[in-house]
Amino acid sequence: MSHLSSIVRKELKELLTPGSVISVLVMVFLFAGMGGLIGGEVEKASELPSFGLVADDTDYYEGWNPYQYLVSQYGDQSDKVVLMESQYGDEEAIIAEMQEKGISSVLALPAADDFRMSIESGIQVVVEQYYLFEPTGMFGTISSSLATSIVAMLNTDLSEILISGMSEDADYAFLTSPLVSSGDDVKTVIDGVAHEGVTPAEIANTISSQTLMIPIVIMIVIVMIGSIVISSIGSEKENKTLETLLTLPIKRTTIVSGKIVASAIVGLVYGLAYMVGMSFYMGSLMSPASVGNVDLAALGMSLDMVDWVLILISMFLSIICALGICMVLGAFAKNYKSAQTMTMPLSILAMVPMFVIMFSGWYGAGAVVQGITFAIPFSHPMMAMQALMYGDVTLVVAGIAYMLVFALATILVTVKLYNSDILITGLGQNKTLQRLTGKS
Amino acid sequence: MDALVLQDVRKSYGTREAVHGISLKVHEGEIYGLIGHNGAGKTTTLRMISTLLRITSGSISVYGHDVSSEPDEVRKIISYLPEDAGAYKDLTGRAYLQFMASFFASGPERDAMVEKGITLADLGDRIDSKVDTYSKGMMRRLLIARAIMPSPKLAILDEVTSGLDVINSYEIREIIRSIAAGGVTVVMSSHNMFEVDMLCDRVGMIDQGNLILEGTPTDLKREYGMDTLEEVFVKAVRG
Repeated sequence: MSHLSSIVRKELKELLTPGSVISVLVMVFLFAGMGGLIGGEVEKASELPSFGLVADDTDYYEGWNPYQYLVSQYGDQSDKVVLMESQYGDEEAIIAEMQEKGISSVLALPAADDFRMSIESGIQVVVEQYYLFEPTGMFGTISSSLATSIVAMLNTDLSEILISGMSEDADYAFLTSPLVSSGDDVKTVIDGVAHEGVTPAEIANTISSQTLMIPIVIMIVIVMIGSIVISSIGSEKENKTLETLLTLPIKRTTIVSGKIVASAIVGLVYGLAYMVGMSFYMGSLMSPASVGNVDLAALGMSLDMVDWVLILISMFLSIICALGICMVLGAFAKNYKSAQTMTMPLSILAMVPMFVIMFSGWYGAGAVVQGITFAIPFSHPMMAMQALMYGDVTLVVAGIAYMLVFALATILVTVKLYNSDILITGLGQNKTLQRLTGKS
Repeated sequence: MDALVLQDVRKSYGTREAVHGISLKVHEGEIYGLIGHNGAGKTTTLRMISTLLRITSGSISVYGHDVSSEPDEVRKIISYLPEDAGAYKDLTGRAYLQFMASFFASGPERDAMVEKGITLADLGDRIDSKVDTYSKGMMRRLLIARAIMPSPKLAILDEVTSGLDVINSYEIREIIRSIAAGGVTVVMSSHNMFEVDMLCDRVGMIDQGNLILEGTPTDLKREYGMDTLEEVFVKAVRG
């Protein structure tokens, strides 16, 4: 037993290094944060959103007032039902009022007299749905299905009134569904242009299905090339080939640049290989046979050549940034094993934006999360495609500019480190660290 | 001419001073041995000469070039072979020599340098085998060939025969002797006093970061009244 416990103790000591323990703790906090993020998004999505109603606050049929009915249904949150001033059928006025009041979904009912006339004639009343399209995350579009539910609620309530006074020759189909709202009655406004027959949820779902894999692919590529570079430096240190390299008549900037360029090429090859694989995957998802997909090109949300170039630049720069970080981290690695631990901060940096973008989305995230996401260079290619689909070129260009500065800064730091003793001695001999740990 | 001049060289790691003001001179074509126990400061000194570590204070000059202000010039004329150094394992011995030669020359000059390296390594057909299949002795032969093939003015060799068998150690010592005869200055560290005694023209002994004695092996043995350099070393350290 004592032999076994000795070996177990030795193994535990080797396995539970400060680096590995910190990595696990960081992962716990990361997942906890992710849970909070998802919970917050679901909570936000389940809240009743402000909702506009184009109708008269009057008796529509046998004492039935749709506005008062909805106000009673909203209960404590009745202030979220906004009675619009625009008139039924006046599309431009309704959209302008929505934009002015910041209301993202509106149901439009005809004027009371017209409504009553239709009902009395046994003709279904057309209820129009208007949406202002807003980019959101995975759960952000749940609220846009609310209008459909409200139409159903109104239908049921009105149906009860109609059925209570029905005659023997009543049209039961009409009585159970006096209101209708489908197809062209649904209008979603994108950049001021109303598109018929499509809801924001359908658009967001289609965009998500096309872009959801990108953060995962970027994360995999960055973690993979990061691991390659840090391990390469760790291996060079362990084999002392780095010492030999540093005493050759070549500039340190050449050594750093050589490592970064070669790794960037490998990273791009990996990235493109994954993209090709993904395009096959997406091709099968986006085939004509697939159901529920919206024609994004018809909505002006397709990507052109300039967009693809921006995405590629964004990807390349994020790889350079990753390599810059790896070169800095690698400088502190003492050997191959410690280099492996060094990849953890990079993995975490790549995972944070992946989760944020997948679950909350850039546009659905709060200011603090947006700030953190923007500061992590790998976020930018992850959100570039979606941003360009939404026409947000500014975000992508700002991301590229930020990554350019970040990459240059990391390369400069790397060259400085390669000119210092840390590359040879590691952090153990670092003055600041010694002062912090009180070692002399 | 002095190939290497160290003047009051100090090196601190944080608050700990590892080298306390070493001053020495190595003449051109000389084989100079640095001896001392583990942690005495030999490798730190060699790394400062090789431009790998920055000097805290003092100065080092290699053939008139200051290591701190002209590191690029120094790197053109030195060759450093670290203790237990390795080579890129995915390369063959020949490819490794070609890779290293490309930093010193190009075209036919580079090819000639590689041929010189291959001759020095004397690995036969195994020069075209991958480095990770080499024994420790073969690896050392390849690395010493790499260090010598560019014809450096100063070769800095840290524990060059450490862990090698008798034959390999003997052959590497012969190589060192022959390059020194060809005009290359050699500064080497070693724990093998027999090797230092046989090979070095002069010896410097470092203890706790200080150069405590210096001279030819014969003079040191005479001065301490000992038969071997090993006995001199023990007496000098223990007092």
